[in-house]
Amino acid sequence: AAGRREEAAAEEEEVEETPQEKKLRLAKLYLEQLRRHGEHGQPGPGGGGAVRAQPGPDAPCPPPDPASIRVLRGHQQPITCLVISPDDKFIFSAAKDGSIIKCNVACPTGEVESGKRLCVVPGGKKGTEGQHMGHAAHVLCMAISSDGKYLATGDRNKLILVWEAATCKRLYTFTGHRDAVSGLSFQKGTYQLYSASHDRSVKVWNVAENAYVETLFGHQDVITGLDSLRRECCVTSGGRDGTVRVWKIPEESQLIFYGHQGSIDCIQLINEEHMVSGADDGSVALWGLAKKKPLTLVRQSHGTQGAHDLQQPYWVSAVAALHNSDLVATGSHSGSVRLWKCSEGFRKLEPLCDVPLVGFINSLKFSAGGDFVVAGVGQEHRLGRWWRVKEAKNSICIIPLKCRAGAPGSLAAATT
Amino acid sequence: APLKYVFLSFRPVEMSAKKPVPFLRQVVSVTKKVHRDPRFDDLSGEYNPEIFMKTYSFLDAIKKQEKEMIQKQLKKCRNMEQKEKLQQLLNRMTQQEQAQKKQQKWRERELSLKRQQRELAKQGKKPFFLKKSEKRKLELAEKYAELKRSGKLESFLNKKRKRNAIKDKRRLPSQKNL
Repeated sequence: AAGRREEAAAEEEEVEETPQEKKLRLAKLYLEQLRRHGEHGQPGPGGGGAVRAQPGPDAPCPPPDPASIRVLRGHQQPITCLVISPDDKFIFSAAKDGSIIKCNVACPTGEVESGKRLCVVPGGKKGTEGQHMGHAAHVLCMAISSDGKYLATGDRNKLILVWEAATCKRLYTFTGHRDAVSGLSFQKGTYQLYSASHDRSVKVWNVAENAYVETLFGHQDVITGLDSLRRECCVTSGGRDGTVRVWKIPEESQLIFYGHQGSIDCIQLINEEHMVSGADDGSVALWGLAKKKPLTLVRQSHGTQGAHDLQQPYWVSAVAALHNSDLVATGSHSGSVRLWKCSEGFRKLEPLCDVPLVGFINSLKFSAGGDFVVAGVGQEHRLGRWWRVKEAKNSICIIPLKCRAGAPGSLAAATT
Repeated sequence: APLKYVFLSFRPVEMSAKKPVPFLRQVVSVTKKVHRDPRFDDLSGEYNPEIFMKTYSFLDAIKKQEKEMIQKQLKKCRNMEQKEKLQQLLNRMTQQEQAQKKQQKWRERELSLKRQQRELAKQGKKPFFLKKSEKRKLELAEKYAELKRSGKLESFLNKKRKRNAIKDKRRLPSQKNL
């Protein structure tokens, strides 16, 4: 018996070492890949992303021209989420009726009609989940793999549907969540899918093998957003429990950050060490992995609304960050998308400019190359019908950017 | 403390991600209600009967009014049950009044005794202190004097004799124990 205990202890030691050793091994592999591809002169497969290698002097950023904003309509109900394919060619969007539309972005050659709807998967009526090909409830979140092959969508019926992005054909269905699926994200470079739900759990799935991997617990309230990058860890925002949690999947542990006062509604990773989140008290916070409180907090980022003596801040319904740069965008229903610049090593958040856009900005995504930002606009908030902006149109707006965003101060922040 | 430990408190908390969160969880911290008994609370201060009587003397008028109300109700009432209840209530009120008056008389007697002793001490004689039984005897003497004045002495003494007789009869050996 003593011998077996020793063996078990030795095995445990081995198992404990593996995450760190695994990280080391993967990092070495990645460096090898980069070196090889660097020799060939091709960019890595979705790797590195928008590595803005020239920080340079920060040129004064001209605000985007409102006339150059392209509005693509097609959904009947407010848009809840959208994703841009990694090659910046297609945009997938989903709405409250469960419909999913794939349209293409402008091509410089002008051969293919820009803004054309390539695939439309209509939403089904309530109760037709068995027969219908698409979703029969509000689609709350979407994610696309880093090579653009798989698209995953999650809805209020606790289902995650996996589609083939090129043909919009449904491949798999993942069941297992016990409440609406509110966040989805692929790990860049792999086919591992993270999903977050209103049942306060985070689940890990492997799409290539159509398998469920594990569940992670910890949130005390519904999870409102999820994001991940190249590392095997994801970050979630926990609504009213006021925490942002970073989940380290190989070590099965979580890091807990808190500091927002309202319900944290949206979160995005800027790079592997920093993230930005927005709350329903109008505050936007920048976080670093080393500090449990936000590095910087901007209150009432979109102003206040309401009667003279009862001013309420506009809820921040969407945040987006240009990968590995210092540009952050926030959206609300205040009538504009606000662009911000992170300075002093993410310790300060300065407003850059406002892009006028009427309606609820339910989703914001930057393109991988940093050329444009796409906003999903709806007449209602993506999670409910507290207000209705009649002047708005349920559409996708593509806002071209002329800003040359730079890496904020230290280049170390841009590396994995 | 070394600098390393000072900065450790700024880092995020790391916890296991595998423990399921219980269904019932504390969302808002609920403060426990602190139960205070004003009789034993230091905040209420010390009990001084004189000050108490003075500050709450307005209650006597209210008690009198209530007694009159109940007497009127008793006259009007037809229901036997309710009549019984009202009668009990009336008795309770009268008895409470009498108890108050008795206590008041005790306090007055104490005060007069103290005054007496102070006089004696002033005059130079040694002050004497009465036992409780002696004080009760004084009270009894006063009671008899009061009864004599109102003329109810005979009836009171008769009732007392009857009560004593019944008690003594109980103590006699009964037929069973022969």
